[in-house]
Amino acid sequence: MPEKKNRGIGRDPPTSDELLRLVVESATDFAIIAMDDGGKVTSWNIGAGRLLGYAEDEILGGDGDIVFTPEDRAAGAPERERLEAAARGRAEDERWHQRKDGSRFWGSGLLMPLADGSGFVKIMRDLTERRTAQEGLREREELFRLLATSIPQLVFRTRASGERTWGSPQWVSFTGLSLEESLGFGWLDAVHPDDKEVTAAAWTTARETGEYRVEHRLQRVADGEYRWHQTVAKPAANLDDPGDWVGTSTDIHEMRGLQERQKVLLAELQHRTRNLLALVQSIARKTLRSSSSLDEFAAEFEGRLGALGRVQGILARVDHRAIDLRELVEVELKAHENGNGVPGKVTMEGPTVMLPPTSAQVLTLAIHELATNAVKYGALKQPSGRLAITWRIEGGTEPRAVLDWHESGVQMPDRGGHPGRRGYGRELIERALPYQLKAETDLRFGPDGVHCRIATAIEREEPGDG
Amino acid sequence: MAEGETSALSGRRVLVVEDDYLIADDLARSLEQLGATILGPTGSVKGALALLARGEAIDAAVLDINLGAEKVFPVADALIKEGVPFVFATGYDHWIVPDTFSRVRRFEKPIDIRALARALSK
Repeated sequence: MPEKKNRGIGRDPPTSDELLRLVVESATDFAIIAMDDGGKVTSWNIGAGRLLGYAEDEILGGDGDIVFTPEDRAAGAPERERLEAAARGRAEDERWHQRKDGSRFWGSGLLMPLADGSGFVKIMRDLTERRTAQEGLREREELFRLLATSIPQLVFRTRASGERTWGSPQWVSFTGLSLEESLGFGWLDAVHPDDKEVTAAAWTTARETGEYRVEHRLQRVADGEYRWHQTVAKPAANLDDPGDWVGTSTDIHEMRGLQERQKVLLAELQHRTRNLLALVQSIARKTLRSSSSLDEFAAEFEGRLGALGRVQGILARVDHRAIDLRELVEVELKAHENGNGVPGKVTMEGPTVMLPPTSAQVLTLAIHELATNAVKYGALKQPSGRLAITWRIEGGTEPRAVLDWHESGVQMPDRGGHPGRRGYGRELIERALPYQLKAETDLRFGPDGVHCRIATAIEREEPGDG
Repeated sequence: MAEGETSALSGRRVLVVEDDYLIADDLARSLEQLGATILGPTGSVKGALALLARGEAIDAAVLDINLGAEKVFPVADALIKEGVPFVFATGYDHWIVPDTFSRVRRFEKPIDIRALARALSK
């Protein structure tokens, strides 16, 4: 064979000493260092020169311990290694070493005693890269574990098929499914039956878009409640395994509740606003029909809008819950100068009577008309006029609030005031209140002033103290 | 108002269901001005069903959806049974309307009375 011929040209087969020398010299990736029993270097191969930076002639006879770091030397590591090698036949040397230029590398090797007892041989490789990679991996895994087990989200690892490979302790404690039970598609047991289909289908989309995203209900084992979660997963940036995905499930139960409530509130607000606009429109048209001039229209319409504005303010303040009758009356009277502060001109008396918020608007409009009329023609215009407003609760099984508006000392005009105004106020009291509130009303123009009685439903939820 | 408009609803009998008096009264007057004869107005389901039970001829209806604590839908059901066309007048968005009435036309408040009249004259 040609190779045999070549190897044999001009030479005899190598002796075992030569063979050893050849191996040592050609093992350039390995540092092979022989030392006497005091640690002085007696042999230094090419690999040792490359790894440690010392040339053979500059280190021969020198201190072999120089390859250790100063800390290890101070701690007696070289001596311990030699003692161990002498006692056991070998000592592992896995540690950071130092080169001639002071840089360090992770050396992995063995120290063995020479058979003739003349010293030791050390064989060592540079495994810095592997060491660094392992450390990095360990750090990343520790970081992942720390993150995955500390955040409130339920964390999992999965295949792109949706098959779970891992679930965080939060997942296990929230769902009550053990890690083993959750593996594969076992985790679907925690998903609400109605949400299983969309949960599974989202994995098909995820493989196309590169992101898994679904909102579904997961059952909390503690109380059996299904709580809304948003579950998101993405491929982990794992180059070794592109099929490895990481995901989280976040509890969004409260948020969804708030969103629902907000939707209802917005619809309610829109409803109220549109109704209010419709009401303003109808008041404008009604005022227009009964006005003989634009000036008259402006004054009447502004007054009615003002009353509507005041009652909106009260309704907003009590958040559209029950309203105190006294407040409705007081606010409207105050807007009509309240008798200009003349003592005893206006009196108000009655217990706390709570009215349903739905009554407030039309009642205020009615009181506004009574007050405007009194300011313009009646008790609040004439010096001798008096206005007594009283209220009480009447009736047993279906109690009603009864409001009495009693003007006295008024010189009544022949035809009982302005026909247009009376028409509007009268219509509100005699028709609108019965139609809208099923109220009973009685409006009379007595010889000494206006008398009006309004009996209307009270708020059942919050009984008054009268 | 132009002459064509005053007679747009001439001879048509229109049921008005609306719980706010001033809005109901305004709506009734406006439709009357366009020639309609008004049934009601009434502000409750009970009142509307009582009007229907009298068996008078009805050509069309305008229904406010929210009648205080109740919704107008039983009246809508009765009108469908009688074959009477109707529209909703409401401040609510469409999602409050059950699917069965999804094809019923909705007028948002405040109502454009001419557009309403055109719908009721068909």
